[in-house]
Amino acid sequence: MARALANQPWRKANNQRRFEIFIASLIPLPLVAYISISQQLNPILSFAALFLPMQLIAASIVGYHAYGRRGVGDAVLVVVTFFFSAFVLILLLSVLSSVIIQGSRAISWQFISQNNVYVSPTTSLDYGGVGHAVVGTLIVVAITTIAAVPLGLAMAVYLTQSQSKTRNLVRTFTQALSGLPSVVSGLFILSIIESTHMGRSGFTGALALFPLMLPTVARVAEEALKLVPVDLRYAALALGAPNYRAFFQVILPAAKSGLLTALLLGLARVVGETAPLILTMNPSSSTSLNPFSGGMSTLPTFIYNYLASSYETSQARAWGAALVLLILVGFLFGLARFLGKNKSIKSKASK
Amino acid sequence: MSEPVQRRKLVAGPLSKGDKWFFRTTSVAAHFAFVLVALVLAFLLMQAWPVLQSQGFGFITGNTWAPDQKPIVLQLGPMLWGSLLIAFVGILIATPMAISMAYLIVYMLPKRLAKVFTTLVDLLAALPSVVIGLWGLLVFTPIAATWAEVLNTYLGWIPIFHVNHAENGFMRSPFIAGWIVAVMIVPIITSVTREIFSQLDGDLINGALALGGSRLSTFRKVILPTSSGGVVGGVLLGLGRAVGETVAIFYVLNLTMDINWAQLLEPHGGAVASWILARFGEATGTEKQGLMAAGLVLFVITLIINYLANFIVNRAQPWRKN
Amino acid sequence: MTSLVTSSSLRAENISVWFGERQVLKDVNLVFPANQVTALIGPSGCGKSTFLRTLNRMHELIPSAGLAGAVYLNEQDIYSEAMDAVSVRIKVGMVFQKPNPFPTMSIKENILSGLKLSGRKIKDADELVETSLRRASIWNEVKDRLSDQAISLSGGQQQRLCIARSLAMDPEVLLMDEPCSALDPGSTRRIEETISELAESMSIVIVTHNMQQAQRVSDQTAFFLAEEGMPGGVVEFGSTEQVFNGPIDQRTNDYVNGHFG
Repeated sequence: MARALANQPWRKANNQRRFEIFIASLIPLPLVAYISISQQLNPILSFAALFLPMQLIAASIVGYHAYGRRGVGDAVLVVVTFFFSAFVLILLLSVLSSVIIQGSRAISWQFISQNNVYVSPTTSLDYGGVGHAVVGTLIVVAITTIAAVPLGLAMAVYLTQSQSKTRNLVRTFTQALSGLPSVVSGLFILSIIESTHMGRSGFTGALALFPLMLPTVARVAEEALKLVPVDLRYAALALGAPNYRAFFQVILPAAKSGLLTALLLGLARVVGETAPLILTMNPSSSTSLNPFSGGMSTLPTFIYNYLASSYETSQARAWGAALVLLILVGFLFGLARFLGKNKSIKSKASK
Repeated sequence: MSEPVQRRKLVAGPLSKGDKWFFRTTSVAAHFAFVLVALVLAFLLMQAWPVLQSQGFGFITGNTWAPDQKPIVLQLGPMLWGSLLIAFVGILIATPMAISMAYLIVYMLPKRLAKVFTTLVDLLAALPSVVIGLWGLLVFTPIAATWAEVLNTYLGWIPIFHVNHAENGFMRSPFIAGWIVAVMIVPIITSVTREIFSQLDGDLINGALALGGSRLSTFRKVILPTSSGGVVGGVLLGLGRAVGETVAIFYVLNLTMDINWAQLLEPHGGAVASWILARFGEATGTEKQGLMAAGLVLFVITLIINYLANFIVNRAQPWRKN
Repeated sequence: MTSLVTSSSLRAENISVWFGERQVLKDVNLVFPANQVTALIGPSGCGKSTFLRTLNRMHELIPSAGLAGAVYLNEQDIYSEAMDAVSVRIKVGMVFQKPNPFPTMSIKENILSGLKLSGRKIKDADELVETSLRRASIWNEVKDRLSDQAISLSGGQQQRLCIARSLAMDPEVLLMDEPCSALDPGSTRRIEETISELAESMSIVIVTHNMQQAQRVSDQTAFFLAEEGMPGGVVEFGSTEQVFNGPIDQRTNDYVNGHFG
């Protein structure tokens, strides 16, 4: 790399610019501090109001010095971009750190495993937990998955393998379904519950999640199947295989990781859903293994029920549940990402 | 005179039994989505129709929700307006942030950092809305209330920042709800914009640079115009999500039928999705049907927005490399 | 207004180019006098296009790019610390292999885009548009539809539009990277005619795979060659007449007579 460094005549000027920009971006800080102290202004307020304009001015001066008029425009663009992006990051970090810091107060092995049957709002955090909610989440999501994944997969297969003319119609409807607000999905199942006098249960909750998971799985699975090079299919067909054998023995294995990603992303979507379950499922503080009758709680509904409490311990429980939920979603997400990376390497290699 | 050419019909058949079964099953499954959407609409319509019929057009425009009154009056006006207002505020806040983030990732960061930032944005997208609601209520609201207070103190003369009774505080206002919604939709808009920026034909940018373009002029005159269609589509996708948002702003917004037109800092507002959630617990009979009707209206709105969004994103794609 | 005679010249001195650790060009010395057309010929992959990009400082846009030597525009080294890359590109224009008109702009807007992108004031926009389109031999075809979208033109027309767009900047040197390789023979011929006319007011450096084209349009020719595993370089450089009809180097002889390449 030393040779590359030595042979970049533009580097010295670029480095000088970078240095100037760096210095210029440091100057506003003490300046703002001085102004707010000497004028006895609210420090945070003055920071907010003055920091950005000062950065813009400092950057513009550097830009003008380096490149003239166009340098000013470029400098402003860079400063604004950095500020807005930093804002997004700050918001994200705020959410993550709040959940981690507040949640870790409550979290413990007992918190994850016990349920809240004998817990009142003032019970200390040493007792009770979200065990029942974890179980409830797993049960409800499992039921939804059993229905949504084969169906979503079948839809993806239909869209990619058949020649039917109604494919576009199906795709449009899948897109329409993916825009379904979660609360409306809950209303839909609620109206069925009311009409048929079915009781509310974990099962009805799973039903309400089904229209939300289905389009996600179908869409991502379709993309995964489309990534499989069409030559593989032709090769199988040319060898005399019927379509279904070509699919199961050649295409499906090739798209395996992509399809797993579809499953995981669908899961990640419904694991965090709240509104549909509020409408179609009764909450419960005890651990229930029966999804067909009685109440059930999931992690999101647990958070929903506890977060507006005025008791600090209840709020702490909500944070703890949020942390557990975050870990779960993060795990699913990371797994999907990890598999997705391998998929793209595979498809690049086969091109 | 030669005879007209007889075109032969090309059919990939006859299919084996296994194939017939294969295609039939997947076809049935696929049309299930069609059936499902139709079912949702049909059921909701069935339940909602009596209410829509009796309330008429006033369901959407009126501002009274009186389930105990005789005759019963159910009107969604303030909630509907509130949903749109909050979504609009959310978009206003989120779009500059999202485009900046996308520009940063694609045109400013080195490859490794760009991947990290992309992951961070996607992580934000994966956060469940109830967690954002939790953070929104307990952590963000006090901070945003201070911002609101500052805005009101120094810019209160502008109508949207004007408040009737400043001593009531600024909590639970459309302003704060708008911020929360913005946090939810920033990742969507960023992802779409990032995709489009990275698929932009490199030759276009090289051409602009070869003509003497600077960073700003290339962005304003080439990158942004060429990708504008897709970016608008991404914003609309975010809008669709914002309008349907329920739990994130449920505790953060003070829902009242007293319509709040544009006083963002006023501590009350409306949102259809949150209203449904708030009322369904005690609702009976006709009011329940009214909530179904509200859900139907919400679904139709998001259908329209999402259709527009997908149409715009998929239509003209001048950014594509070939 | 456009200048018809310019005394500017471009000179490359001991140019060596790296991508990361890999050296792709070694000690290229070429002179591009005013009002002359220089063709760069040679087999694929021997660094002709890369060299072209060192002449308008587009090469450094690639992160791993490395360079040694100097390029003198009117006896000023464009790589000196004091020189700004953007101002170089205003004086040294470039036409790319694939026509790349800006898709959201009309024909007229494309012509003026260079001035807008570089932040220069536009005087007499209509006159400039007409002059540029005339010089690119496309005025008659588009004069009635200047507001039409640029991408509605055919491939050959789009490329001439791109040439006109570069001309609107009044460059001293025009670099052309295989400008006709994506076009049909008819468009190719028209562009070659344009090149000859343009040389009256600027220097032109054209990379081409087409040896007949090189013979048709250029005054002098440089033959690039990269032996296996070695960085490329200029094997022979002289008047087109001499390089094609009486080459000094045996390798040049082999190439221009089609023995390899």
